[in-house]
Amino acid sequence: MNNYQVDLTNCDKEPIHIPGKVQSHGFLVAVDAKTFDITYISQNIAEFIDGDAKNWLGKNIKDLEPVLLPNAPTTQLSQLLNLGAGNKNFDSVNPFNVELNGEAYYIVLTPSGSNIILEFEPTDSDLSLDVQKAIGRSVSEILTGKNLTAILKNAAKEIKKIIQYDRVMIYRFNEDEHGEVVAEVKNDDLEPFMGLHYPASDIPKQARQLYKLNLTRIIADVNTDASPIITFEEGQPLDLTHSVLRAVSPIHIQYLKNMGVGSSFSISLMAHGELWGLVACHNYSPRFINYKAREAAKLVGQILSSALEYRQDEEDTEQLNILNAAAGEISTRLKTDITIAEALTKGKTTVKDITMSAGVAVILDGAITTIGQTPDQEQIKEVAIWLQSNMADSIYYTHRFPEIFGPAKAYSENASGILACALSKDLSELIIWFKPEQITSISWAGNPEKPAEPCEDGIMQLSPRKSFETWEQIVKNTSSRWTNEEVTTVVKIREEVIYAVNRRANEIKLLNERLQLAYEELDTFSYTISHDLRTPLSSVKSYSEFLLATNKSLDDQAKSILGKIVGGADKMNMLIKEILNYSRVGRADIAFDKIAMTAMVSEITKEVISALKSENLQLKIGDTPNIYGDRTMIMQVFTNLINNAVKYSSKSNPSIVEISGKVDGQETVYSISDNGVGIDVNYFSRVFELFKRMDNVQDYEGTGVGLAIVKRIIEKHQARIWFESKLGVGTIFYISFKNL
Amino acid sequence: MSAPDIFYVEDDTDFAFIMQHAIQEVKNDLSVSVMGNGKDALDALNELSSERVRPRLIMLDLNLPGMSGHELLKKIREIPFLKSVPVVFFSTSDNPKDVRASLEFGANAYLTKPSGYLNLVSCLSSLHDFWFTKHVSVN
Repeated sequence: MNNYQVDLTNCDKEPIHIPGKVQSHGFLVAVDAKTFDITYISQNIAEFIDGDAKNWLGKNIKDLEPVLLPNAPTTQLSQLLNLGAGNKNFDSVNPFNVELNGEAYYIVLTPSGSNIILEFEPTDSDLSLDVQKAIGRSVSEILTGKNLTAILKNAAKEIKKIIQYDRVMIYRFNEDEHGEVVAEVKNDDLEPFMGLHYPASDIPKQARQLYKLNLTRIIADVNTDASPIITFEEGQPLDLTHSVLRAVSPIHIQYLKNMGVGSSFSISLMAHGELWGLVACHNYSPRFINYKAREAAKLVGQILSSALEYRQDEEDTEQLNILNAAAGEISTRLKTDITIAEALTKGKTTVKDITMSAGVAVILDGAITTIGQTPDQEQIKEVAIWLQSNMADSIYYTHRFPEIFGPAKAYSENASGILACALSKDLSELIIWFKPEQITSISWAGNPEKPAEPCEDGIMQLSPRKSFETWEQIVKNTSSRWTNEEVTTVVKIREEVIYAVNRRANEIKLLNERLQLAYEELDTFSYTISHDLRTPLSSVKSYSEFLLATNKSLDDQAKSILGKIVGGADKMNMLIKEILNYSRVGRADIAFDKIAMTAMVSEITKEVISALKSENLQLKIGDTPNIYGDRTMIMQVFTNLINNAVKYSSKSNPSIVEISGKVDGQETVYSISDNGVGIDVNYFSRVFELFKRMDNVQDYEGTGVGLAIVKRIIEKHQARIWFESKLGVGTIFYISFKNL
Repeated sequence: MSAPDIFYVEDDTDFAFIMQHAIQEVKNDLSVSVMGNGKDALDALNELSSERVRPRLIMLDLNLPGMSGHELLKKIREIPFLKSVPVVFFSTSDNPKDVRASLEFGANAYLTKPSGYLNLVSCLSSLHDFWFTKHVSVN
């Protein structure tokens, strides 16, 4: 007998395999396996034979037999024991029919350490149907189920038919050993427990261990008192792991009582050598089913187990195949020319589908794209920042993110689980998959418990509702776990994305290199051509002028023609000089310096005025803040722009040209405005193109290269140029330089 | 044998033709001798110096076939008898780098070729004023 007191704080240490009691619907005798001497006996044997159970301890089974079973052949029990010992198990023996006080009883023999246990329980039960036939039909019914859920539903149905308990449920143990009711068949008047989740602690570890070894348990009547086992072996309680009469934990009894349940029966469901779940049957009044019926139910359980294993594996593989198919499609898309973001987020299959997540966020090139159920943009940014500081590897995942990063509790609904994969070394490009909080995806429709008397140790409050609430507390801020398959798929996709990015980067690099080469070739070409063109052009002009100056036999027409030749040569020369300039900008190295703009603008305006000989010119020079740039090039820019302003407004009377600069935050902006011919809005896009001159300026001299040079120089300085203009009214050019 | 007033090294025959006439226009009694490349020029100069005669002004183009204008200048400066002869570069290039290099090599001046006959005449006129009249003492 043990005096171990059990309450809620230590129920997982309760040694349930040595309760020292048996349920009182039967009685127990244990003998030494070698001598057959009686080592243990349950007190309630007194109901079947006269005298105190104690008197039998130490006697041999041979002595008990004629008293217990007067009508049976003698030494029958000893022969049974011998048979079993010889076969090393008692399967062929159990159950053995005997008659006790005129009632039919079964004897069930089970091993227990160095002892053999004989348990006597009634044969009577109200199950009149031929159990074996019923099982045969049931099994085929069960196995017609097309998927796991259907199989489980069918099994619950068939088992209820066979054993006729008020409620039959199938529990499945999930990750962390939490339980879930995944199938249920019950009488109509009962509240549903379908979908109920309960914490692992509801079925403590040692219970699960026992359930793996002894596949059925019955509690015949919660209201009867268990009968103690007495023995002379002090401190050596009898191991009742394989017993059929084992008394159960008082906590469990109380739990059943709280629910109003009178009796229960459960069958273990095994898969891959581990406890997959249980078939749990409740009856709201005491109920006993005999050994044969229980064995039949156990058989159904075993068949169900193998079906489960098979179907579960099938469904797992199917799940994996779906993930892999999605990954395959994403992979194919990455190999095409569409952008990475498109490959991942557009189309029927997106990167979300390579995991069993509810949503995904793709952070690429500074933009966040979301699919499905995710936190909002600001929250995602918060997560990304945390990841940047805390991700040690390229992949990070957790199913309890709000527990690790407090602020995420605000959006635990969407981001209890995160799986993040970094695409770049600086962790600024990420894909984050999100799983919702388990609670939000599970709700239980059970009814509130009936009010119970409050008790300090809480045992009185045990109930399914309490279990669910406990479970809810435990899984708060957690999502379902990330499986190995999901993580593996993510790793694979990450490699593909990085490969695709590199490929594109390489292509871009190659393109850039080619472009650079082409530019250089063009520049050299321009320079050489211009240079080589100028020499013979110079000759044309020189010879023509020479003729004009020295040849006395030229008539007026000849002189005029020669004059035109010289004019033509001059124009060509100007154009070549400009082209030379333009190509020089491309080849030149930029030398940044502080430029004294006041002096430069003054110098330029003086030169332009004298070169263009403009009359009626009103020139206003405003502020001229200094800027940073290449002196020669900037001079060129302002010369060209001021030149244009004066030139194209020369026909206005008065011509008004204004030049001024202003410091504006990070930039300095200059404006050069004129009240000249303006630019036709249709040509706005061509203003800076090489050799493009507008129709309205045919009367004005120009090469069409000036603004192209200006643009090139501006680009080299990483500055900006833009303009406003109206035909016939005027033009303003703006240039903005970055302040150093 | 007598040395020419102006010793001009230039490979562009068109320009050389125009030059000769332009010089005549500036002062029609100036004598000009034109060589088309550095080697011929050196040979000629060496021969002149061996005869103890030298030109009053040497003008060089930068871009010459074979020996460059700068190399030629260096070699000219090695001829002791010609040490005092002013050497002026006369080139199409207006690149400041060329200007600096020429002066570092020891040229007395660097002029960019003007465009057209008339401009050339006025440029040569200034040149003549400077080297042939106002600074006779340098010679």
